[in-house]
Amino acid sequence: MAKAKDALFDPLFNNNPIALQILGICSALAVTNKLSTALTMAIAVTLVTGFSNAAVSVIRSHIPSSIRIIVQMTIIATLVIIVDQMLKAFAYEMSKALSVYVGLIITNCIVMGRAEAYAMKNPVVPSFLDGIGNGLGYGLILLLVGIVRELFGSGKLFGIVILNPTTNGGWYVTNGLMLLAPSAFFLIGFIIWALRTWKPELQE
Amino acid sequence: MSNDSVFKTFLVAFLLCVVCSVLVCLAALVRIDREAYNKQLEIRKTVLAAGGFQQQIDAGEDIDKLFTDNMTLKLVDLATGEFTTAVDSATYDQKAAVEHPETAEKIPTDQDLAGIGTRAKYAAIYQASNGDLILPIRGAGMWGPMYGYIAVAADGTTVKGLTFYQHAETPGLGAEVDNPKWKAQWAGKQLYKGSTVALKVVKNGKYDPNAADATSTIDGLAGASVTGNKVQAIIRYWFGDHGYGKFLANLKG
Repeated sequence: MAKAKDALFDPLFNNNPIALQILGICSALAVTNKLSTALTMAIAVTLVTGFSNAAVSVIRSHIPSSIRIIVQMTIIATLVIIVDQMLKAFAYEMSKALSVYVGLIITNCIVMGRAEAYAMKNPVVPSFLDGIGNGLGYGLILLLVGIVRELFGSGKLFGIVILNPTTNGGWYVTNGLMLLAPSAFFLIGFIIWALRTWKPELQE
Repeated sequence: MSNDSVFKTFLVAFLLCVVCSVLVCLAALVRIDREAYNKQLEIRKTVLAAGGFQQQIDAGEDIDKLFTDNMTLKLVDLATGEFTTAVDSATYDQKAAVEHPETAEKIPTDQDLAGIGTRAKYAAIYQASNGDLILPIRGAGMWGPMYGYIAVAADGTTVKGLTFYQHAETPGLGAEVDNPKWKAQWAGKQLYKGSTVALKVVKNGKYDPNAADATSTIDGLAGASVTGNKVQAIIRYWFGDHGYGKFLANLKG
């Protein structure tokens, strides 16, 4: 049980894929200027990592080592296409807002990294939990960055006005930098700093 | 059997591909099933947004109800500028009509400002409950075709709003045609001066609110002069004689 708990919760802080392994940065910059897209992306990645880990783990004793990367890739690509098609079918606006970044989950190093590093060697349930945990760790950073960027960039959270911007007749002068990708770089940097100050054992 | 034998390798690859392709097919079927509805909803939203119903959309009112309550679909024969009932408006597909020689018309090269080659004979327009006309427009953008709707008041010259629902302009620059702030300046602009199309899109920052033609001038987007020129060309074509010119002239009487 302790192992399952570790698999699920370790990636949140102790072994966070973004903040410690610095993986999945591309999409973390691209989809976090609004909280709604960040949340959708977080859910999509969590589902893909969870189920790809489970699927790889189920057939791990039958995967020929010469084609194991291709096998993992095919499973991941299939899951990503399914997520992408479901978003297009049931959340059309959201899929337009996320544009290519849903498809690019295939290339997100977190997904394949967990399949290769964990699911190939562990039973199904811990693998699934490890995948979900890493997705949540990724999602946690996305949401933190998304909250700061949308709040200070547009004065909103989930599209609801919190700080009434001057463009809307309010008092808050929006910070345009927050809407641009580089701001996510700075914010992720601050998060890594904060995390390593809180947990000095993470420092290299 | 060894996992690394040639036979096992092919077997695993084959079975994996079969299972994965079945799953992908099923997902695609669900998506295709919903696509028509999503596309229709998007067009309805665009028409409503161009027609001045953005507030109601933002407030989360039911799009389908708002649309059927306020919009009436009508077909216009662009050659005569009259409403037509030659084909059934409910089943008429303007995008498909462009592809067939019998339902489309070649645009003379010297008039083809929007760079589209052919246009459908009949335009599927919407008449709003307050008399506004919401007219489909399209043309070449910087990177690909742009599709949108422009709303014109019953006087046939005052713009009420403009919205593109499909384009491939550069994100952050030309794609700012979707920016509500930029779209807002279209409201109240005059399309025509006398009987010629006067509306123009100038370079960003060159807009002078005190100029004599300010009522027909749109301030362009920063860093997107080409998109601005393309939008201007699209407007110039569609409101010229080959586009809605005759229809709007008839309307004015």
